[in-house]
Amino acid sequence: MRVPYWNIDYGFLIDILAIPALAVFLSGLYGHYRKIRKGSERLKTRSDKLPWKFGPVFVRSVLTKGILGTVIYRKFYTGLAHGSVFWGMLVLGLGTTLAFANLIAKVPVFSGSFNRWFMAFGLDLAGVCVLAGLLFFLLRRLFPPDRLVTPRERSGFFPMACLLAVILVTGFLIEGMRIRASAPELGSFVGNFVAGLIPGSDHITSYHRYLWWFHGLLALAFVVYIPYSPMVHMVLAPINTALADPRPGPKMGVIDFSRFDDESGEEMPSMGVAKLADFSRKRLLDFDTCLWCGRCHEVCPAAQTQQPLSPKMVMATLAGFLSANDFTDDSLADAIGVDALFNCTTCAACMEACPVSINQPKAIMKLRQNLAMERSELPELMSKAYNSLEQRRHPFFGTGSGPKDWQKGIDVPIFAPGQTEYLLWVGCAATYDERAQKVARAMVKILSAAGVSFGILSKPRCTGDPAKQIGNEFLFTEIAQENIAEFDELGIQKIITLCPHCFNSFTRHYPELGGHYEVIPHSVLIGELIAARRLVPEKSDESICLHDPCYLARRNHIEDPPRLALEAVGRLVEMPRSKRESFCCGGGGGNYWSESSGVRINQVRAKEALDTNTDVIATACPFCLLMLTDGAKKYTEDQKVFDIAELIAARLNLN
Amino acid sequence: MKIAVLAKVVPDYEVPAGDFELAGNRAHARYTRMIGLYDENAIETGIQLKEKYGATLGIVSYGQSEDVPILRKAIAMGGDSLHLVLGESDDPYVIASNLKIALEQLQDVDLVLAGQQSADLDRGVVHGVLAEMLGCTFLAQISRIESDQGRWTVCQNHESGSRMLQFSGKAVLSITSSPENVPRIPAVRAIMAAKKKPVEKLQGTDAPPMQVEEVKVEIPKLESVCEFLPFEDMQETSRMLLARLREERYL
Repeated sequence: MRVPYWNIDYGFLIDILAIPALAVFLSGLYGHYRKIRKGSERLKTRSDKLPWKFGPVFVRSVLTKGILGTVIYRKFYTGLAHGSVFWGMLVLGLGTTLAFANLIAKVPVFSGSFNRWFMAFGLDLAGVCVLAGLLFFLLRRLFPPDRLVTPRERSGFFPMACLLAVILVTGFLIEGMRIRASAPELGSFVGNFVAGLIPGSDHITSYHRYLWWFHGLLALAFVVYIPYSPMVHMVLAPINTALADPRPGPKMGVIDFSRFDDESGEEMPSMGVAKLADFSRKRLLDFDTCLWCGRCHEVCPAAQTQQPLSPKMVMATLAGFLSANDFTDDSLADAIGVDALFNCTTCAACMEACPVSINQPKAIMKLRQNLAMERSELPELMSKAYNSLEQRRHPFFGTGSGPKDWQKGIDVPIFAPGQTEYLLWVGCAATYDERAQKVARAMVKILSAAGVSFGILSKPRCTGDPAKQIGNEFLFTEIAQENIAEFDELGIQKIITLCPHCFNSFTRHYPELGGHYEVIPHSVLIGELIAARRLVPEKSDESICLHDPCYLARRNHIEDPPRLALEAVGRLVEMPRSKRESFCCGGGGGNYWSESSGVRINQVRAKEALDTNTDVIATACPFCLLMLTDGAKKYTEDQKVFDIAELIAARLNLN
Repeated sequence: MKIAVLAKVVPDYEVPAGDFELAGNRAHARYTRMIGLYDENAIETGIQLKEKYGATLGIVSYGQSEDVPILRKAIAMGGDSLHLVLGESDDPYVIASNLKIALEQLQDVDLVLAGQQSADLDRGVVHGVLAEMLGCTFLAQISRIESDQGRWTVCQNHESGSRMLQFSGKAVLSITSSPENVPRIPAVRAIMAAKKKPVEKLQGTDAPPMQVEEVKVEIPKLESVCEFLPFEDMQETSRMLLARLREERYL
């Protein structure tokens, strides 16, 4: 039977020293809490009843992303190393706790098979796992991948990993010395091995004693230092995942502008975010939790095409303000760069890749809202789109198409209250862009062929989503309220959308303004009509590569229905980045109206699709259609990009 | 310093040619209405003068009550007050007479700015007639204005260049667009405040119209002629394209 605190006089002192160490640890954590408390409350407290949600805590998220760290394993080796360190340290922590329990309550952990298989073998194995994981991390800090050092690297990991490695190594040495001075221990495969390497000496018990205290004090120092180092993520990451709404996308919500009408208040609230104090507490927790791992940087279409934006840089800059306790400086947007903030395509790839559930797009959009609404600072083309949206209620300035041009030569019914089932929401792109108009025409052909009861509005409208993406919530709200009033008047309940941005707006934002509808994206409806055999398109051997629109696949988890529809007419091929990991076309976030320099996102994505040697590139969003059509021109003169509706309509035999 | 900017609400000036139609010799009522293109340049110029010299800026318009929500944009951009003379005439003389009423009401206006031409009738006449009525200097196509010791220095833009002019006293200036007077986007707070601002509505006068009769109004018919340029050297083709566009007076 193993003797606790063997060879150590007053060993309990280390447990007593743990009390002040814990106090300093908690005080450090309280410092983080105090900073985060300085954030503003959310503008609108979400009252939705969601499964696995208790109070503000999303239990399923904290269990899967926070504790199991499921997202980390998307990079297998990093995930394995992190898992080794995390679970290994958890087992070692449990071992230390059991040893303490033995000391104060004589819990029999040092005897029998429990001692052999857990306290000896289990703890040795855990130590080996932790050391192996640390070795991986230390090597990776010495030879870092680009994402860790671009735009800059977070300091503090290397010394903490070294400190932890020293604690582990000294732990094994202590064990080896104990076994060398006493007898081999069943199960302690590392301890027995180390003991075999230690030469015999009369001073071995003295060395053991000194090393034991050194090891113990180092371990306490590690605990004390956690809140003041990047290792604080051990505490903050699970909390952040617990408080992050697990539904996909940034969840921008809507702004109640009536609160800005009260001019009697001492301080007018800011529209969007100008200074750190304007951010919600959850956003501040995001900045504090961010490890600068760069997974967001690696998937960001802007960062990957050498544009000024890097979501990691945004987080790092805001974390800098937070650590400096600078809550009143209103130059956050300038520190990050106005151009960078408008580079964001709101594709939410960064969010999807983040292992600790940080909402980077929301922070970016909040800063953008301030630029758009308070400072009226917009890039030139975006400001033209905004002006057009404000004046004409559509953003396609300079269009050569009239509102009814897309209907030329076809009969399109107008929505009749009480008679028509679906409103076919054409949206701005399919109304005013000549190429996208073909999508609306194809959809009319499909709906007519399937005998769906549908109609359009007599005067085309825009959801206002481009205004929201540009950052002007006020204009979005105005347009949305006008639409809702018209829908109410017409008694519209069901809507078919051609554009995922419209779908997202109707389902995510309109309900918060009082507009509740049953909304279905056209790609989903087409799939359903094919499944019900109301549409029977001819199948060909043509290969079709689907580009998943971000606002369908990633932001609304609609991945399979468009594929089911396409499988009815051809042979599907996939790009390396597809479904939720789709790479943006570059047109989101109002960037359809932007002038990009250097590498263009749409060309990168078009090349990725063409590299599959596909016959046809399909998509289910008019903006993706336009961006990819333009991007593909660099590589081919053939028209390769089509909307799902066009592909299905072309294969309908309407005899 | 007191500045007044003349702003006119017109039908959408970007309606595609293929979609444009007349009703009663004027643009069809179905088109969205907005502040004239050059008028927004004039408003921006006025705001910049207000910011630079601490002037007060009145927005003056001739039109109908329905124009008020649209004209509030000028207030949101930075105008101090909005004065609307009610009337429906298209006659430049009648319009100028009515605008004169509002300007006289404002009292001691130092400078009247107006877009170089309206975006509906494109005449560019009213401000000249108004200057004559007010008995003050009139200069057309101005892009920049500065004030120094009671004298105005302005930059007049031409197709082939520009010239600097100086004058003293009151004036009516027609403003052309330039990179310096791109209309600003009003901040949301300013839009909200502008909605609450009172508007001075003045009853229009039946001034005698010009002795001109409108006989007929026509709009250009869409024609498309396709011409292929040789494509061997991209630079050479670009040069040819540019030359052809100039030849046909598209540029």
